[in-house]
Amino acid sequence: MTSRQPPLATGIPGGRASSRLDPARPGAVSWSLRIFLLVLYTLPLFWLFMTSLEPPGNVGGPAVDMFVFRPTLESYQAALNGGLLNAVLQSLIIASGATALTLAVALPAAYGLAQVRRRTVVVGLGALVGLQMLPQTATIIPLFQVFGTVHLLDTQLAVILADAALLAPWATLLLRPFFRAVPEALEEAAALDGASQLRTFTSVCLPIARNGAATVGTLVFMISWGEFLYAINLILSPGKYPISALLAEQISQFSSNWPNLMALAAVTAVPIMVLFVFTYRFLRSGLTLGAVK
Amino acid sequence: MRSLSHEEALPALGSAPATQVAASVARGRRPTRRRPGRLRPGRALYVLPLLVFLLLMAGYPLEQLVRMSFSNVTITTLQHAWSFVGFQNYRDAFASPVFSQAVFHTIIFVALVFAVGMLGGLTAALVLRGGGRFAGFLLGLMVFVWSLPPVVNGSIWRFLMDQYGLLNLISRGIGTGTVPFLYSPTSSVYSVALVNAWASIPFTALVFRAALLGVDADLIEAGRVDGVRKWQEIRFIVLPALRPTAFVLGVLELVYAFRSFDFIYVMTDGGPGTATNTLPFLGYSEAFTQYQYGLGSAISVIAGVVIIVIAFVYSRSVFSEERVK
Repeated sequence: MTSRQPPLATGIPGGRASSRLDPARPGAVSWSLRIFLLVLYTLPLFWLFMTSLEPPGNVGGPAVDMFVFRPTLESYQAALNGGLLNAVLQSLIIASGATALTLAVALPAAYGLAQVRRRTVVVGLGALVGLQMLPQTATIIPLFQVFGTVHLLDTQLAVILADAALLAPWATLLLRPFFRAVPEALEEAAALDGASQLRTFTSVCLPIARNGAATVGTLVFMISWGEFLYAINLILSPGKYPISALLAEQISQFSSNWPNLMALAAVTAVPIMVLFVFTYRFLRSGLTLGAVK
Repeated sequence: MRSLSHEEALPALGSAPATQVAASVARGRRPTRRRPGRLRPGRALYVLPLLVFLLLMAGYPLEQLVRMSFSNVTITTLQHAWSFVGFQNYRDAFASPVFSQAVFHTIIFVALVFAVGMLGGLTAALVLRGGGRFAGFLLGLMVFVWSLPPVVNGSIWRFLMDQYGLLNLISRGIGTGTVPFLYSPTSSVYSVALVNAWASIPFTALVFRAALLGVDADLIEAGRVDGVRKWQEIRFIVLPALRPTAFVLGVLELVYAFRSFDFIYVMTDGGPGTATNTLPFLGYSEAFTQYQYGLGSAISVIAGVVIIVIAFVYSRSVFSEERVK
């Protein structure tokens, strides 16, 4: 994640010349802004990490004994005793389930909606944009009622369904450009060779859109790993909370035991960190592709 | 896939828009068109799983939301028949001072997140464009922070802004005393908005940077040959080229700011008092902490209408140009 090349999509003729000319020698303003950004985005994480190594109950965190820092894992142990492992397991179930379900409905839909030939497709896409933008705070109200009616409250399935409903419209829109990139001639060739539509989708289009599926799948996993509003309201017994919900609840209840809370936050962040390191390369180009079409 | 705007205007119509979509999509796939290889029957079928799923998990719940907003629904009547009260919930909402306060907070909050998020992202993109290992590393690091769950970032900043936190440690050190970043009714909304913007800057920077790399290099080179200054280059060559990206990104940032709740929930829970209640957050807390589901639904529907308007403008500009091709 340290070395960096311009994304392929923007590889323009003359790009090489520009990068030689361009800011290879950034000025003083540029450098001070870079340092400022570095501090702004590393210091919070550093402070999180340092605080989590303090003994539990140390109110002021590292600020109190800044000069006699004795790292300890006690806060992590305390978090472990608080049902941490179970919460991580719940998170894994919810995030994997939501990712699988979202991709299962969004991949074929993105294929089906790839080409805008008709007004109805525009209407459909517009509806997806609207759904994608709706505040979660609005959708949780009826979801709570609906899941209550069908007796799904207090199950992970409710959270998985709610997460997938939240993310499927967004995932579909993000996946579309990848299916649009499939050359028409290729599909026609497959058809001439007698491949069924399903066969064309699975053997021609899906492999080409593989990077897109990986990008979107990773993002869906990350978002549903961190989602907590649905989890807090749809899961009634705190013993079944995923780790994001546990952290959100504890931070509002015990916001003085910072070492414990920061240890909990660190454990919530670590899986995302691991995932990020392995996926940053294609996340970077996939994200910008989705956002600027 | 049914559109909310229809429901809100005419709740009685139920799923009419959605069935229309399905019917016309189905009608459209008759293979009588040109290019027989292309438009074989079945392409529209691939949308069906998503359509069914969203009708059940989004369409139906949204219909319930609109119905609730016209009914008297509390914790005791939530799972029973609701009595229809017309626009009573909407009247109650508009009459309450908390609501107008929330509207005011929403405007401050969205404006601040939008301005800082967009300008910060543009600045970061300009600073981090071009080569250099350090710039690449820094961008990767920022995107990593962006990808962390908001509940984690919110927790860190709640701690940093705590009275024993790092910011106040610094503040006391330089003699400005303890600043109640999150505990004062006046400053808390700014604090939370700034943290929201901070969390969004890596994304805006990433997108702006991709657009910057796409700026015609010949144009820049021509400018340099003509001896334009650095700021002139940015002002007259780079920024105009970024306009289409800035529009799309601007809408996304606006929506991100408007529907934000995780940082508010984690950092202040809407408080102190009602100081950080934005409109969507108020709808939620009326429902889940006051148990006034009817009132909460009405406020949420109002928030939803705002979103529908933005989504409409956005879709028109983004998808209509695709269609021309």
